[in-house]
This record gives sequence, C-alpha cells and structure tokens, in this order.
Amino acid sequence: MDREEIKAGVCRVISGVLGIDATGVSEAQSFTADLGAESVQSVELMAGFEEEFEIEMDEDEALSVQTVGGAIDFIAKYVNS
Amino acid sequence: MKTADLIEVDEPNLLDEQFDYSLPPRILFDGPLYEEIGDRIVRFDPEEALARDLVITDTTFRDGQQARPPYTVEQQVRLFDMMARLGGPNGVIRQTEFFLYTKNDRRTLEECRALGHRFPEITSWIRADKGDFRLVREAGVRETGMLTPSSDYHIFYKLKKDRRKAFNDYLEVVEAAWEAGIRPRCHLEDVTRADVEGYVLPFVQELMRRSEQAPPELHAKIRLCDTMGFGISYPGAGLPRSIPKLVYLMTNDGGVPHDCLEWHGHNDFHKVHVNGATAWLYGCNALNTTLFGFGERTGNPPLEGAILEYIGLHGGLCGIDTMMIQEMADYMRSIGVDIAPNYPFVGRDFNTTRAGIHAGGLRSDERIYNIFDTTALFGRPPRVAITDKTGVDGVALWVNEFLGLKGNDRLSKIRVHKIARWVLDQYEVHGRMSAITDEELEEQVKINLPDRYATYQAGRKAG
Repeated sequence: MDREEIKAGVCRVISGVLGIDATGVSEAQSFTADLGAESVQSVELMAGFEEEFEIEMDEDEALSVQTVGGAIDFIAKYVNS
Repeated sequence: MKTADLIEVDEPNLLDEQFDYSLPPRILFDGPLYEEIGDRIVRFDPEEALARDLVITDTTFRDGQQARPPYTVEQQVRLFDMMARLGGPNGVIRQTEFFLYTKNDRRTLEECRALGHRFPEITSWIRADKGDFRLVREAGVRETGMLTPSSDYHIFYKLKKDRRKAFNDYLEVVEAAWEAGIRPRCHLEDVTRADVEGYVLPFVQELMRRSEQAPPELHAKIRLCDTMGFGISYPGAGLPRSIPKLVYLMTNDGGVPHDCLEWHGHNDFHKVHVNGATAWLYGCNALNTTLFGFGERTGNPPLEGAILEYIGLHGGLCGIDTMMIQEMADYMRSIGVDIAPNYPFVGRDFNTTRAGIHAGGLRSDERIYNIFDTTALFGRPPRVAITDKTGVDGVALWVNEFLGLKGNDRLSKIRVHKIARWVLDQYEVHGRMSAITDEELEEQVKINLPDRYATYQAGRKAG
C-alpha cells in the first residue's frame, strides 16, 4: 500500500472520529493541538486506524504518535511488513 | 491547656505498629478497662482477654438458616468445607451447629462429618425437650444447644410458665442431657431483657453447681442470647443491657468458666459486631456468628467480621485463610444470595472509591484509600468507580478488573474505546450527574466485548 493510499485512509478516520473535513489536513498537523482531539478521541483514532487498515498496533507506541504524518509512517510499518 | 507544638519529620510517620498494611489494623489498648458493677470497681485487662482461648462459633446452618429458604444439603456441605478452610487448623472457627429434625438435616451432618475436618466441631440445636436427645445421640453429636429462655417475656408469655417452673423444667432437660452423655449448652434467650439478679444468676449458679457432678467434658455451657439486639457495649450502661456487667456477673458471680461462656447477638440496633467483640474482651471466650450476618430478622454477628476482629486483636492470621471469605461470598452469590454492594469486606463496592480525587490518591499510593492489602488478603484490589473524570485509563482498569484479566491478557485502551465513549456520552450528551454503576458497565462489556463477556460468564458458572 503506498503512502497516498494510507493518507487517504487516515483522513477518512480523522473525518469520522473528529467530525471535520479532512481534505485540507496536512501531515504536520498535531491530532490534539491542531485538530482538537480529546483524550478519548485519541484512542478512538487509533481504534479507527486499526479497523481501516485491518492491523493491530502496539498501544503505547500508537498513542505516542502526535501528528498525521507520524501516523501515516507508523501505519505503513504495519501494512507493508 | 498544654500547648501542642508541631513536630516536623523527615519521613512520614505511618503508624506502622497499628497500620501494618499487610494485615487488618491492630487493635491496641493503652491499659485496662474499668467498670463499676454494684459496689465494686472491676478491672478488665485486654491482655488477659487475649491470653484466653478466644474462638468463633458459627450458627449459619441454624440461626442463619431460620432467616431464609433452606439451603440444600450440597450447599451446606460446601459452605461447611469452606468454613473449615477459613478457620484453619487452629480452630479459630471452633464449632458450628446444625438442626437434626429432618432427613436432610441429618444427611447434611453426616456428609459434613465425612469431610474429616477437625474444626469446626459439629454440635446441634434442639428445643428443650427430653425426647430430642434421642436425635442427638443417634447423630453422634457430643454437644447440643437447647432453649432455656430467661426473660419474663419468654417465661410468662411464650412458655406460659412461672419462673420456678421454667427453672425446674430447664434443669430437668439438662439432667437428661447428662444422662444421655451429651454436653448441654443452655441458650439463655432474651437475657438482655431478663431479671439478672432474680432469675438468670440463680439459674446459672444452680447449673454450675450441678455441672460439678458431671465429667468436665460434659459441664454445661452458657450461651448469652441477645435475642432482640438490646445489648450495649458502653461502660457504665445498666443491667440487663450492659454486656460488660452481664458477662462479668456470669463469670464472677455465676461461676461460669470463660471457656463455657458464649455470646450470641442480633443486629436490631446496628450493634451486633461490636457487642460480640465486647463480650470477648469482658469474659466470653466464644463469639457466635453467621456467615455474612444472615440470621433471624436483622441477623447475627457476621462471621467474617469476627475473623477480621480476631486478626486485629491478635496481630496475625493464626492459620486463618482470609481468601476463603471472598470464595464463600462468591459461592453465596452463585446460589442466589444477595450481598449488598457496600457490605464490608465482600460487597462488590467495599473497596471501590468514586471521588475523582480519591481515585488519584489510589493511583499514587493505594494505602491512602484502602483499608489494608485487600489484594493479598482477599484477592480484591481497590477499584475506582467510573465517571466523566475517570478517562479511558479508568475504564480499561475497570474492565480488566471486572473480567479478572491479568498480565498480557489485559485489554488495552484501544479495545475498550467504545465503552469509554459510551461513558463520556452519558455526561456530555445526556447530561448525567451520577457515577456509572457496575451493572451499567457490565452491560456495556456484554454489548461491546461479547466474546470476553461470554468467557467471563462461563468462568463464573464453572467456578
């Protein structure tokens, strides 16, 4: 799966969980500071990524990811391994 | 008034002598207790009390069963077996008593005896009827309790006798017990509403006098029955309600040896446990109890409360297996017995804290809001109730504790996010102001983690 496909999937999840239009989201944006994710939403984002990409992530590592780009890189490790 | 100066310390003083976290807190005394009884000032030394052979006796299968639908034979045998393990090899739970009147009563007794436990010893309970000794003898029981009501309420209005007739009739039954080679245990019903000087003491003195004619192992025992829960533990309280005075008069003026004296209370005024422990300290060696306090009306001294009191007084487990308390509670629930969520030691919420600030305390050091090491002694870690302040961490903690998951089996926050969302929505969407109950959370586990819930249910049924 290439990076653009992963980014599209990540944006779908962001849109669904945070209820925002994710088309303009940049990879540098932070889930909490820029996109406004609250504590429970951070966990919901991770659960959404797992479901979208049919993967199971390490919880501590996943929740330490701060940005959209970081999430794409992190997910890429799972889907392309 | 002496000025008290602040003493700064380098290390916190946690009062370890009393609050050794690995045990229930010690019950320590600064010195003797004094009680004015008639024209005497009587000194009671708690150290002397602790040097006596204090024991717990049980009436779960007699008084405890009078207050509920009967247990099956299998249930009683299972509870008896667990009770033996709870009390341990030193016989902290020394005796338990059974009915003998039905086939099931007798089968229960036989099957309990067949387990081969040394403790609790099996005794029986009969009405004050000479014919009943045949049952006791046939059951091979060496000691039986018998009704010997002591108040005029009972003597005049229930038995329709006068004092002399009751006095003689009871003694006749006691003599019949001795003739049958059975140790009589006279249950002085309603003693906290009786004329102590005018009836109770004369009866007890005569009983002790006649006991001298019997072999020591058959000497009569006395059970002081606080039938209506009127007993009072406070120093200075008057007879017949004063437990210190009543117990002292039995041992001193009545001549009853400590090891022949037992307290049996009822909880009509919320005094049942402390009254029982008071009787221990002032001269009764035996405290009669029922599991979780189930008994006639408001119940009896709770067995598990007496166990914790015993440990607190002695400062050690003395062979007691405290884990059995939880196992017995789980078993009672499995057979349909309700135990209130806030019931001490075994209720589902007994060590659950709800306030967010308490939860923070628990997370930093559980000793702040937990009574003792309930994980080590009960297998029950302290818990936090769930509110909007608890967060996903708290929800994950609750779910894992509820499902009994440990180590790598514990569910991550990601696995419980739907439950956490449901919790948050209760407050943010529905405007809820109260904590989420365990029942609601269990329902959410059932909905959102159906496989895990099914495994949990199967484990409960098997256990």
